[in-house]
Amino acid sequence: MKKILIVDDDMTFVAMMKAALDPKKYEVTSAGNGIEALSTLEESMPDLILLDIMMPKMDGIEFLTEMNKKYGEHKTSVLITSNNSSLDKISEGVALGIKGYFIKSNESLHGIIAMIESALPK
Amino acid sequence: MITIASIVIALAAVAVSVYLILKNQKAKEVLEKREKDVSRRMYELAILKELGDRIGYSLDVQQIIDIITNSLHQFIEYSAVSYMILEPEKVIFKMHLERSVHRQFVNDVRDRMLGSLGALLDREFNKKDVEEVLSGAIIIEELEEPVRSFFNIPLVIDEKVVGVLTVADTKEGLYKEEEMTILYKIIQQASKAVTSLQGVVKTEQAKVNAMVESMEDGVVMTDADYRILVINPAAKRVIGQEGKQEVTIFDFIDNLGGKMDIRGRLEESVKLKKTYMSERFEVHNKFYQAFVFPVKTMSNLSEGEVLGGVVIFHDVTHEVELERVRDDFTSMIVHELRTPLSGIQKASELLKMPRKPAAASKQYVDIIYQNSSSMLDMVNDILDAAKLQAGKFEINAEPASIAEVVSNRVDFFNLSAGDKKIKLKVTIDKAVPGAVPFDVQRIKQVLNNLISNALKFTPEAGAISVVAFLHEAGGLVNKELHKTGVVPPEPLPEDQFAKLPPSLVVAVTDSGVGIPLEHRGELFSKFKQLSNTTLVTNIKGTGLGLAIARGIITEHGGIIDVVSKADIGSTFYFALPVEKSPLP
Repeated sequence: MKKILIVDDDMTFVAMMKAALDPKKYEVTSAGNGIEALSTLEESMPDLILLDIMMPKMDGIEFLTEMNKKYGEHKTSVLITSNNSSLDKISEGVALGIKGYFIKSNESLHGIIAMIESALPK
Repeated sequence: MITIASIVIALAAVAVSVYLILKNQKAKEVLEKREKDVSRRMYELAILKELGDRIGYSLDVQQIIDIITNSLHQFIEYSAVSYMILEPEKVIFKMHLERSVHRQFVNDVRDRMLGSLGALLDREFNKKDVEEVLSGAIIIEELEEPVRSFFNIPLVIDEKVVGVLTVADTKEGLYKEEEMTILYKIIQQASKAVTSLQGVVKTEQAKVNAMVESMEDGVVMTDADYRILVINPAAKRVIGQEGKQEVTIFDFIDNLGGKMDIRGRLEESVKLKKTYMSERFEVHNKFYQAFVFPVKTMSNLSEGEVLGGVVIFHDVTHEVELERVRDDFTSMIVHELRTPLSGIQKASELLKMPRKPAAASKQYVDIIYQNSSSMLDMVNDILDAAKLQAGKFEINAEPASIAEVVSNRVDFFNLSAGDKKIKLKVTIDKAVPGAVPFDVQRIKQVLNNLISNALKFTPEAGAISVVAFLHEAGGLVNKELHKTGVVPPEPLPEDQFAKLPPSLVVAVTDSGVGIPLEHRGELFSKFKQLSNTTLVTNIKGTGLGLAIARGIITEHGGIIDVVSKADIGSTFYFALPVEKSPLP
């Protein structure tokens, strides 16, 4: 069973993803911001993180920086999910070793699941 | 030249008659002296005439000194005449040899002149800064004659030493007092002429300066050698040299730090008559756009001679900031619209999926409903803001009861207030008229905004009060408010109400976090910067609500504002004229 962590303050999106991802294949957990996400990492490192950029308290980029500092790079696959297509933030994420990114409103749940599957370590 | 000729003839006539009168007196020495004097005078006159002609169109000190030195040999004996002129970045040393000398002679004269220039200006000069030009007879190393006679005259223009003029000879005992007095005179005359002409130029320059002084854009005008002729305070501010008196082009080169090639652009302007407009660049935390163009002489016949160049620094910092705010705003709107849209899309996708968790369908429909409602609100806000900006915001004021509208809105929010255990209280003063002209839908919108904001920012178990009361013309608003039993975090500004006609005032007071003074101004602005505080408090929406509220109230001929105190709360209030008044 692959572990997926969704870090997003958009509760609707989190609920949808949880509903769409097959519970027989994936164990899905979520965190509402970077700080919450960091504390869940202490328990276990997921196989993949779906990471939003704009979040209260600690945003996605700060979270990535902190995670890399604490655990080292490429410990898990990270996909950036945002509704803000600001290229600055995405290139910052690329520099921090993300696997890919997508704009939430541009992708269907099917498309997102396909991306998750290809980004997951085999 | 006719003048010179006539002077020569006249003087010659005088000389001849003097000669005739004196010839029998055998005063040969006297006569010789007279002749010498006359020739000196003529020389002096000729020089001054020539100077006058030349400086009619030249202010170039070097050129004038050249005229003097070129003809000086006619009455002073010397091996070499030379001058040194001080330029901003170098010292020009020009020596004309009447007779051949050896190199050491030249060096000797140069060093002495540099020494006296240094003494006159009280500063050290390096030999490396000297640009040497030799003319006349050739250097012959075998001639080992040293400098035996030497005379220096400072060149003074407008009370400032600009250089020295020197005559030197290998013979001893030359340059007596008398000859030198005349040389002094010539130099003095020349300097006077240049000074007075420079005075005219300075007056003109001062006029131009006064004109550009007050300009907001930085203006720098240079001559063809990139010496700054005119500069205004704004231009000095660009490079952070407000206090500096004499700013040179090098100050600009140093401070612009390669962001704009001022020297290169001026050169293009001066030499190729090109105009140039720069991209935006940043200097000392400000943004500028620079324009460079040539200054030409006014002439209808030809294209005009290029006299120099002008650089104008246009401060675009404000535009850049506005753009940034707009960009932030756009990206925020995009984000805020995409989020519910994405929810709708994904919820419908889930509804279509065959593998559907039981009882989930209702939840997805709810999500679609909520998200589409919130999107609709945002789209309406954006449309209202666009209408406001275009000045096409219209209200439909009809007499209605404000008491009803306020109570209706308070009832509407009571449920969500209860969820947060917030006490939502409403007070309508008895003096409030039964019917006041206003747009019911629009005022409902304002109340929705004010009350929902109060709910958002008031912590659990807090209190919110909504009051409506009548403000009499000339009445004290704080006294009037006090009667309703509400104490605002800070008194309402009386001056805002002093000139209002009888008005209906609605005030929403919360016990929230309060708004820092620096953010109060931007609260009601259209493109509120997306600050971190919005994210921390996790408040969603376009942030246009208050800007629209202000638009609505202004359109009613009323006022809207806020008073606030940190950790105590805020009072948002608006006032509407009781009588329908013609709008200005």
